[in-house]
Amino acid sequence: MIIKRIAVLISAGRHPTSGQPRHCRNDSLALTMAVDLANSHSTELDVIHAGNPENPALANYLALGADEIKVITAEPIIENLAANLKDVDLILTGSRAENGQDSGLLPYLLAVKLNIPIVANALEIKQMDDKLEVLQFFPKGKRRRVAVKLPAIIAIHPLAFVELHYAYAREQQGKIVVLDSRSTVNNTVAENNLQWQIQPKMRKPNKLKAPENLTGHGRLLSAITSENKGGTVVNEGNSVEKAQVILSYLREHQLINF
Amino acid sequence: MMRINPRRSAKISAAGLKRIVLTAPANVETPHPHKPLLTKKNSKAHVLVIAHSERGTLNDHARQTIAAAAILADAETKVLALILGELTEDLTSAGADEIIVLPELDFERFQPKLELASISAVIESVQPMHIFMPDNAIGDGDLGRRLIASQRTKTAATQVVEFDANHVANFQAGGTLLAQSALPEIILLAPNCVDAHLPFATSAERSDSTVTNQTSANQTETSNYQDLGLQTIAATEIALEEADFIVSAGNGVQNVATFESLAHALEASIGASRVAVDDGKFARDKQIGASGKTVSASAYLAIGISGAVQHLQGIKDCRHVIAINTDASAPMVKRADLTVIGDAEEIMQTLIALIAVAKLTKLKVAA
Ligand SMILES: Cc1cc2nc3c(=O)[nH]c(=O)nc-3n(C[C@H](O)[C@H](O)[C@H](O)COP(=O)(O)OP(=O)(O)OC[C@H]3O[C@@H](n4cnc5c(N)ncnc54)[C@H](O)[C@@H]3O)c2cc1C
Repeated sequence: MIIKRIAVLISAGRHPTSGQPRHCRNDSLALTMAVDLANSHSTELDVIHAGNPENPALANYLALGADEIKVITAEPIIENLAANLKDVDLILTGSRAENGQDSGLLPYLLAVKLNIPIVANALEIKQMDDKLEVLQFFPKGKRRRVAVKLPAIIAIHPLAFVELHYAYAREQQGKIVVLDSRSTVNNTVAENNLQWQIQPKMRKPNKLKAPENLTGHGRLLSAITSENKGGTVVNEGNSVEKAQVILSYLREHQLINF
Repeated sequence: MMRINPRRSAKISAAGLKRIVLTAPANVETPHPHKPLLTKKNSKAHVLVIAHSERGTLNDHARQTIAAAAILADAETKVLALILGELTEDLTSAGADEIIVLPELDFERFQPKLELASISAVIESVQPMHIFMPDNAIGDGDLGRRLIASQRTKTAATQVVEFDANHVANFQAGGTLLAQSALPEIILLAPNCVDAHLPFATSAERSDSTVTNQTSANQTETSNYQDLGLQTIAATEIALEEADFIVSAGNGVQNVATFESLAHALEASIGASRVAVDDGKFARDKQIGASGKTVSASAYLAIGISGAVQHLQGIKDCRHVIAINTDASAPMVKRADLTVIGDAEEIMQTLIALIAVAKLTKLKVAA
């Protein structure tokens, strides 16, 4: 199977300190990957934004390689996006938006709506017949290779191996088109909805701690006895025995495999 | 004058400390001597915690998530921990009342459909009031979002950085805003928003879930995903912050060549204390600590490092710390899970030799 249509979803980002609108880096990575893939396979590429077409952040994406940005203004977002993505073979997104709720849920909700698979934390993608091979990020220096059947949604990890190229000329040439603003869907399912209230002031979050109501004696005890395990100390033996202790500790906790 | 023994036996009751005790206090062996055991006999409801294990144990983030559920649960609510992957450790201090372990769903394998079906089956059977999961990159963040997307009638919040019995809060709009809402049904917790230390111990009984065994048997159909395997990047190539096994040298390491061959033998990344870096033995980007890098390795082998606070700050997230030092009173010894007192050079040499033998025997057994 050849990939005929690729879509990349972009959101409007914000500068973390000034709050100025700008592109969202994660989405730009996805965009750059999509542009590269579209160029090498000469496929059609749709760059889609759901939100306000006037947002100055969109110009950034033009400069980063989008020829045309299609904007969907109709709500609800997921359903209207899905309606526009029906015959797309590959959908790329960033992993978390920088505006709105930043929940990282959009690709998952879209996958359920379109009934197609989703792979998150992608560092690299490669097409293999009717499948896409994805290199997934894992912490602690681990990576996983996954093959996924197309059509699929791939969410790109912030550490993806992509270099962004910004060109002012492209920003001038590119255009932004607004798709039909009437909603094509009219269902109102519950959407994991919560009423979020923005706090007036940014503050450090409070850490949850178990309440401890000790007697006076208990408090004294906890003050003088530390629960600190302090670990085992090996003083005895020759260096072979000591080295052996270290090796058995490593083996016991499956930290080495020999 | 008669002296009264100030440490004579006493009994602690609800009214306070009672000095007059007729019989010697019975020494009951409990796993956590200072912690009362919390038992919930007639529980009416459940809160569910779902987390992947790593090498048979739960990491700090997963423990914090269980602690969160335990703090929130009242006397009639049971904390049920659903552990995906093997579990070899005891969870009585973590806060779980009941544990279900599904060893076939470990994080190393990519089987999102099966995982979602299995946890959905458990959710279906226990009908928990709340579901807690750590929002991490070893699979729980992914699975949690799949769960939320598949159950759209349930309220949900991700990357929760603050919460209590009445509300949750997370950062929104690129971290520029803090938003609050009522406590939802599904909660994906960010790391370090809960103190995992609990003043009580729980029963942590294992129960076998028949529901899930059935679903796993039925779910062998080929899926849209195909797992091509997990790989580990060579220790020399990954960033120190991401490394899983670090051997770190301090002022007590004289011979850098020995140290480097030990790191090579253990396939570990190299770190160093500030003094070792200042001496020119290592590059600046190897420095670990307050003015260097903060690491979160599973294993941290500190060789000839005294453990100054500035250094300990950099290794606070390390799971297993092993120290080699000539001085048993060095602060590193208090931090370490295992300390070997002795000369660094001698022990490193012996370790290298032992590792070579161990690797050879493993090869022979395999052949
Ligand atoms: C503002 C500030 C920031 C700092 N930031 C950092 C930082 O980011 N990272 C950092 O590491 N430090 C930092 N430091 C320095 C820190 O305070 C300590 O000085 C430093 O960590 C000590 O390094 P060390 O343990 O290698 O050396 P030492 O303190 O000299 O300790 C050497 C240890 O090796 C043991 N030893 C000696 N010989 C042997 C032997 N043959 N075999 C086995 N053991 C032996 C000794 O018993 C001793 O415990 C900072 C200090 C300041 C003031």
